[in-house]
Amino acid sequence: MPSVRDLAEDLVSDVDALLVFSPSSSYYERCADLDIDVIAVDVENTVGAAQFVELPLSFDDVQERIRFGIEGAIDNGLIEDGDEVACAAAVFDSEVDAVVRVRASESLRTGVYGLFVDSRADASVIRDVLEVAIELGKKGQKGKSVGALFVVGDAGKVMNKSRALSYNPFEKSHVHVGDPIVTVMLKEFSRLDGAFVISDSGKIVSAYRYLEPAAEGVEIPKGLGARHMAAGAITRDTNAIAIALSESDGLVRAFKGGELVLELDPEAY
Amino acid sequence: MNVDWQSLAETDSGLLLGLGVVAVGLVVGYLVGRVSNRFLRAIGVPAAVEGTSFERTAQSLGTSTVALFSRLLSWFIYGVSILLAFQTARLFHTTVLWARLSAFIPDLFFALFTLAAGFVVGDKAELTVSERLRGLKIRDVSAIPRAAKYTVVYVALLIALSQIGVATGALLILLVTYAAAVIVFAALALRDTLPAAVAGYYLLLQEPYGIGDTVQIGDHRGVVQEVGVFVTRIEGDDGEYIVPNHLVFREGVVRIRD
Repeated sequence: MPSVRDLAEDLVSDVDALLVFSPSSSYYERCADLDIDVIAVDVENTVGAAQFVELPLSFDDVQERIRFGIEGAIDNGLIEDGDEVACAAAVFDSEVDAVVRVRASESLRTGVYGLFVDSRADASVIRDVLEVAIELGKKGQKGKSVGALFVVGDAGKVMNKSRALSYNPFEKSHVHVGDPIVTVMLKEFSRLDGAFVISDSGKIVSAYRYLEPAAEGVEIPKGLGARHMAAGAITRDTNAIAIALSESDGLVRAFKGGELVLELDPEAY
Repeated sequence: MNVDWQSLAETDSGLLLGLGVVAVGLVVGYLVGRVSNRFLRAIGVPAAVEGTSFERTAQSLGTSTVALFSRLLSWFIYGVSILLAFQTARLFHTTVLWARLSAFIPDLFFALFTLAAGFVVGDKAELTVSERLRGLKIRDVSAIPRAAKYTVVYVALLIALSQIGVATGALLILLVTYAAAVIVFAALALRDTLPAAVAGYYLLLQEPYGIGDTVQIGDHRGVVQEVGVFVTRIEGDDGEYIVPNHLVFREGVVRIRD
């Protein structure tokens, strides 16, 4: 007579490692006694886990979260390609309420982990820019949806591959993306066209830049407009990454190396 | 019967006056305690002392730093009013003792106050420094926050002791020696970073060159990627140069326009 317990057992039998997502400290302590590798995945290592993968932002989408966790774990050498892992995560609540069994493989890779970790700019800067873009996408400018384009990192090269559309409001200013006033400021400046250029350390170098990268061989999904094409092309031509907020569908997309690596819906955050 | 009515009346009025003083003292002490409690809360002391071991000890005893300080203030006023009352009532004639005692009590109070404040500030200093150093995973780094804490506590102890009139000369010499050692150490350690920081502030304020400009500093030529307080990052063809800002001043900058 099979019971529910047997079905659950199938999920976790013979796994090589257990990834726990945003565990409470009591939950993590219970896991720590297990005889397999336990890897904590969270925005911050609050439980003091020895094996830890840092999430750059608390992905609302569980699939994204798990993808990022596994990619990070492979990259840090905590698990290997082809390992079977069980992921314990919170889907509806803040407490862990689901276990997912995944085979860690190359096909899971979307480059989200590389976007944060292997980019020139600091991971925290990229996170801040993403948050600003999400915030902009959520609220828009006076109820109307806005579009914006942020080019992050490798600012010297980006500046040489672009030209000014207007006077640079950030000339001789020392505004960083993490500063509290920035969202409001960028919201105002996003009314005019052009890209924001942000340096590796998060300084806003310029607004209203017209990007002039070579766009050959940039493959982005059909249907996206000139802003996204420019975003893809500049990341192919320089070592920067680009984060674009679409005016038409309101999605936030991140590009790296000429490819679309991340797509987020601001409404979900 | 020969009753000395006059002196009895005098004693009585003295007693009454004394009681009055005590009553006023009680009210004022209570009110000052309340007000200081409010005041300390309003200026954000609870948030500032959160997590310090002083606060934790206070919490475990069912009170808090703010409550403790305001209660100390209340007690001080009660004590002073009782002393005053005794003096006005003239219950005792050992005036010399009373005079000395009433002079000593405020000193003692301030000494206690300084000591407690020293412990709180010391704890806070330890917490702040250790938070700053948390990113560094170096062994024995915990010695620095502890040193910061005990420095503050030591200074507070010195102030407290000199407040109650204990000779602190030797302890003072120890403090001066310690401070001198720290200053010499800091001067040696900051010999290069300080000029770089000063030059960095000039570069940030005046922006003789900005991100995206092609410059040559010494032998290094490339595109400016970042200008910070301490260093300027220049990306050349064969790598990224991280140039300390005082070298920018020493060598001069060539801006290359095309």
